[in-house]
Parts: sequence; C-alpha cells; structure tokens
Amino acid sequence: MATGRYVTDLDKGDVLGPIDYTMSKFVVREYCHANELHQDCFQNDVKFAPPTLVHLDKLRLYKVACPAGTGPTARVHYEYDATIHAPIPVDVPLRAKGTVTERYEKKGRQYVVMEIDLRTAAGAPLVTYRDTVILAYKQDGGAQ
Amino acid sequence: MSPGTEFRLAPRLMTRERMRWYVDIQETVQQDTGRIVTQPPTIHDDDAYAKKQGLPGIISDGMVSTNWILGLLVDVFGPDAATRGRLRTKYIAPIYEDQAVIACAKLASVTNDAGNAVYDLEVWCEDDKGKKLTVGDARVYAAAR
Repeated sequence: MATGRYVTDLDKGDVLGPIDYTMSKFVVREYCHANELHQDCFQNDVKFAPPTLVHLDKLRLYKVACPAGTGPTARVHYEYDATIHAPIPVDVPLRAKGTVTERYEKKGRQYVVMEIDLRTAAGAPLVTYRDTVILAYKQDGGAQ
Repeated sequence: MSPGTEFRLAPRLMTRERMRWYVDIQETVQQDTGRIVTQPPTIHDDDAYAKKQGLPGIISDGMVSTNWILGLLVDVFGPDAATRGRLRTKYIAPIYEDQAVIACAKLASVTNDAGNAVYDLEVWCEDDKGKKLTVGDARVYAAAR
C-alpha cells in the first residue's frame, strides 16, 4: 500500500477513495468555457457534464489519498481512455473510486495506470476511465 | 455519412492563455465555490518550472487536445457524443506555446445497434504541417445521419 504520502509513491493495487461530490452547473460551464466547448448543451441547457470532467476526479482522489502532493517531479499525462455508460448528471450525488492497475518502467520513465469508476451515489455506472501518467518527464529521476 | 469521411476544426494556436485556462480550471472545479481558483506553478504555465522538469518551455495539458476533439465530435454528432460511447487519446508529442493545433476525426465504420447508429472514428490533433500530436479513437452512439 503506497497511499498516504506522494502521488509518485502510488503502486499497483492501491485504492483511492471513494469520494463523494455533486457536479454543479457552475463547474460544467466553467470547465467547458476553459476548454472552448461552447455548445448549447454545455453552456445554456446544462443537464449533464462533458465526460472529460472525469479526468479531474483523478485530482480529487490524489488530494485525499496523496496529501503530501505530487512528489519530487511533475507528472505528465500520457493517455486518456474513457468509456461512457450514461450521461454524468448535474445536481445529483456522485461517487468516484480509483484503483492503480499498473506501474511499470519504459525507457527509464515510470508509468502509472489508474482506473477510475464514476457512478451515481445510488450505484448507476456513468464512466469507466483509464488514466495513464508518466511520473517524471526527465528520464531516470526527473528534477532530482 | 460514410467511412472515410473526415472532419476537422479550424486551427487554433496553443497560446499561453489557453494553457493557463486549463491549469486554473482544475482547482476551480474541485473547490466549486463559484469563483476561479488559481494553482501553484506547473509545467503548463511557468517557464522556469517547466525547464526545471527537463522541458524546453511550457507545454499544453493533454486534456486541452482531448476536449477539442470532444468538441469536434459534439459539433458533428450533437450532444449524443458526450453521453454514451468511448474516447481514447494518447499524447504522442508535446504541444508548445503558440503551436497550431487542428482537431480531426475520420469515420472508420458505421454499424447498427438496436436502431441507433454506432460510429467508430479515428481521432487526432495535428499541427499546421500535418504532424500528429495526439492520436486515438472514439465510438459514438447517435441517430443515423
């Protein structure tokens, strides 16, 4: 178990969360504004969130499970892979849980794969998200 | 709409502002106070910090590219593109300040699922010289077009 300190400590089998929150219309509109998603469904008649917002559940989970922060090196996002089962509703209690499924080294860089399960608090599945990060851009130790 | 059909957004420059918008939205979303919340320096908005991490300068967060691809899919297929299906993106090259980025999609196949069409697409972002920066694929469930 490598939770409790830095993100760079995370290892296969670690479970992050679950955490509970509610997606607000403010969050959807601001996130979409920041990403230039100006479609009506994201700015005016807001009933669901863009599925890409699941990526920020990773940061919510890190904050709880890795309270000391990122660690000695900056992470680099490598892959986003989300399967959307149903729209992410606004103003409905949600629950997100993360499981580290892989940690491996490739060309001197450490990769961590986390699967995030987002569902309503009542248990309806919404998104299954597989996130891959590189723990340090520099090979063999990043900024250390 | 048949296999081989290609869609693309107009080129956008990955400006410093666009990178910072994504940096600051992250804490804003998590705190959800109704105000913008800024972050400490990151590789996406602080040159000195990025260089310390081995980069030549700030680079875009990959999720900006992913969201631009999502926006293209919503433009083409409507809100259905954001409510069921799949999107996978891999960031194969860093995107630097003021680099041109074009979000693209190409229809690979159309099948039928209980009366709805299932669209499988190749998706990517490229620069103004055609170099791919982000690659991936998507599945969209929507009415037949």
